[in-house]
Amino acid sequence: MSELDVYKDIFGVAFDAERLEQNLSAYADILAEIRKLRQLDLSNVQPAVIFSPLASKNGTPS
Amino acid sequence: MSAPLWQQSIEDLSPQIRDGALSPIALTETYLERIKAFDERLSSFVMIADDALEQAARAASEISDGRWIGPLHGIPIAVKDNYLTSDMPTRAGTGAPGFDFDRRDSNAVARLRDAGAVIIGKTRMHEFAWGNETPPTSNPWDVNRVPGGSSGGSGAAVAAGLCAAALGSDTGGSIRIPASICGTVGIKPTFGLVGRDGVVPHSWSLDHAGPLTATVADAATVLQVLAGPDAADPGCANVAAKDYSAAMGKPISGIRIGICRNHFFDALQTDIETAVENAVANLAAGAAEIKEFNVPNLAYGLGAIFAIELASSTAWHDRAIAEGRTKNYSDDVRTLVEIGRFVTAPDYLKAEQLRRLLMEDFVQVLSEVDVIVGPTLPLTAWRKDEKEVRIGVEDESVLAASWRLTYPWNLVGLPAISVPCGFDSNGLPIGLQFAGRPFDEAMLFHVADAYEKTQADRGLRTDPK
Repeated sequence: MSELDVYKDIFGVAFDAERLEQNLSAYADILAEIRKLRQLDLSNVQPAVIFSPLASKNGTPS
Repeated sequence: MSAPLWQQSIEDLSPQIRDGALSPIALTETYLERIKAFDERLSSFVMIADDALEQAARAASEISDGRWIGPLHGIPIAVKDNYLTSDMPTRAGTGAPGFDFDRRDSNAVARLRDAGAVIIGKTRMHEFAWGNETPPTSNPWDVNRVPGGSSGGSGAAVAAGLCAAALGSDTGGSIRIPASICGTVGIKPTFGLVGRDGVVPHSWSLDHAGPLTATVADAATVLQVLAGPDAADPGCANVAAKDYSAAMGKPISGIRIGICRNHFFDALQTDIETAVENAVANLAAGAAEIKEFNVPNLAYGLGAIFAIELASSTAWHDRAIAEGRTKNYSDDVRTLVEIGRFVTAPDYLKAEQLRRLLMEDFVQVLSEVDVIVGPTLPLTAWRKDEKEVRIGVEDESVLAASWRLTYPWNLVGLPAISVPCGFDSNGLPIGLQFAGRPFDEAMLFHVADAYEKTQADRGLRTDPK
């Protein structure tokens, strides 16, 4: 499997090689910021995403 | 002698309309004439409502029949091009084919119409709200410079007196950035205060709807109408608006003001640093206490907002990416929409964990202070051809700098308002930002109004320069 195929498979993108290279280059600075985030140990922190079952119109979960 | 109509605030105009001294038709004609005279230079509107004068005539008739609804009745308000409207098409700033947005009124537009406002037209925005420059719109204070974005058309139109107020949307600063560099007021309310049904999504948990206006009092008047339940927006908190007018015209004695010295003051243009420190001194003279603090976790905020905003935006544009339609977007937006694919699920969730930490940090801070003050932007309006500007001792990308001080309030969902606080040595507006507790917009209006009333340039607008 070529490197391009791996990207296509894992990331679900169908960019050609040139476009993929441009996008990876554009992402480099952002990835540097995300790497800082990865260094944090947040194991005991709940994410600010709350799953809430939808209630039906009579008030019970649908 | 009173100021020309285009220079007057809603607070000034509304009583005249209510009392029959000013016709909504004459007011709408004034703005339409200014749009005709100046918008070829500014490019702030993408569409003018064909029926603007009919809307005004209807308001005039209702008012003369003794059916005055409230302070927005007969007031012309513009709408950013990502709000659905029943009488005008919506493009969300894109010329790319393949998008066919509903022809119906968004929650916010419906509320404005119910309040009697005249929806005068739709303002230009950065494509899909993914940028801070809004080409080709110009800044009225210097037409060679950007108006900011993504609500750049709204900022330029309000600053140039082409409408009484305008709607914007704010995912990382897109109301407050144009407000700051166009010299208007702009408020990003608490997440969930204003329903977003019918606003083209950009990033669901970061998007906020709100107004840009000439004064703080006008922002309170418009937000009073916009705030409240929206059953079609799962993110809406269904919280009723408080009476914001009660917050106006009060002294700030007893108010505790906080200053976050890290991040928000890290690197500022010199004129901005001076203006903001003068504003802090001004506030300190009347407030009960000025308390300085640091929030070290802000150092991780940029990675967090990028992870959330990129991933969310890419999810919304997923079909366009899969079908190869993003090649029709402008280059900058195409890249941002496509690279969200590289954000991993653990990165996204870690960003949401960081978000929780920041929220807890600010809960603690806001138990000790009532509002937090700082600059809205570290820079004033940049030239259209500039990619980097000197800030402090270093050159910085204008795009990185422009949202550096606004995005933290999107991450934590707290309300934040930008208020003009003078001009730099080039005559370009500077913005002062106040943030506060969730759903306590009244406190922001209280302090921002008190500060604004110390400013000789309150509500100032300009012909394009």
